[in-house]
Amino acid sequence: MAIDLSMPILVVDDYNTMIRIIRNLLRQLGFEDVDDASDGSAALAKMRGKRYGLVISDWNMEPMTGYELLKEVRGDPGLNRTPFIMVTAESKTENVIAAKKAGVNNYIVKPFNAQTLKTKIEAVFSE
Amino acid sequence: MADTQHLNRIVSYLKETRAQNVALSDVVALAEVTAESLQTFFETLDTTLYRELRDIAVYIDEMKAEIGALQANELKESRIPAAGQELGAIVKATEAATNTIMECAEAVMAADVRDPAAYKTLVDGQMMRVFEACSFQDITGQRIAKVVETLQHIEQRVARFVEAMRAKDLSGFVDDHERNRAERKNKFMLNGPASDGEGIGQAQVDQLFAPARR
Repeated sequence: MAIDLSMPILVVDDYNTMIRIIRNLLRQLGFEDVDDASDGSAALAKMRGKRYGLVISDWNMEPMTGYELLKEVRGDPGLNRTPFIMVTAESKTENVIAAKKAGVNNYIVKPFNAQTLKTKIEAVFSE
Repeated sequence: MADTQHLNRIVSYLKETRAQNVALSDVVALAEVTAESLQTFFETLDTTLYRELRDIAVYIDEMKAEIGALQANELKESRIPAAGQELGAIVKATEAATNTIMECAEAVMAADVRDPAAYKTLVDGQMMRVFEACSFQDITGQRIAKVVETLQHIEQRVARFVEAMRAKDLSGFVDDHERNRAERKNKFMLNGPASDGEGIGQAQVDQLFAPARR
């Protein structure tokens, strides 16, 4: 399935540097409409105001973690079909399994490179 | 033998006076006899008690000395805040360097390539900025060394204290804040970046996702 490069993407991370990195990588892949949020609750508020084609989220944030955000999104009938990729330094098996059970589409372990991000986005939209 | 004699005297006196009215002077006399008979007992008790209290006093003095050696006030008011400031400075420095490097990358990527000479000049200039920005590593390395030294200092003092006091850990949390943080960390699996050999790599993550992609 061809990816719609005009779809809005929401990047969720409490580090501005990481948001900037991901935004630049997405721009290189052709995605220009990129919003950001600093934690799960801010992201949820944005998602309830605008339809996003993809959410790329960190895990460890306060007050709401990316894991909680994922569960909120999957539990909301209006949002639960939103593709969701976790990009995080949480690299224990229990985290990956928990995210998968909660309905994450893909999981990227930090540090990562542009090719990995590209591959995972393509994998999500080929499902 | 002296204790028994005194007690016998008490018993004899009571037997003699039981049928008679007891005068105040009799009571005083009885009290004196009783006190005399117990004197030896109290002398023994005093010595034992004194020894134990003295041992406790010595232990308290030793504990106070070890607490003093811990230099907890110096740690709390000086070393630990200083380490915190160093870490804060490290975060700022790495953030500033990262932003500079990304600005340079963005400038190069957005540059007009139609004029090769101008493009080369721009790229050379931006790359020099990148090299300059990378000098953060030298400063942050020195700051990290200072923090590590503080941690080692604390570790040595705490280890000495624990050994001297033969301290044992109590279970549970110091306060509700600590408990809440621990519960949150556990509930949401907030482990942070893994140490070498602890986490799994992207290839293993992909394997965990492979069945779902069928």
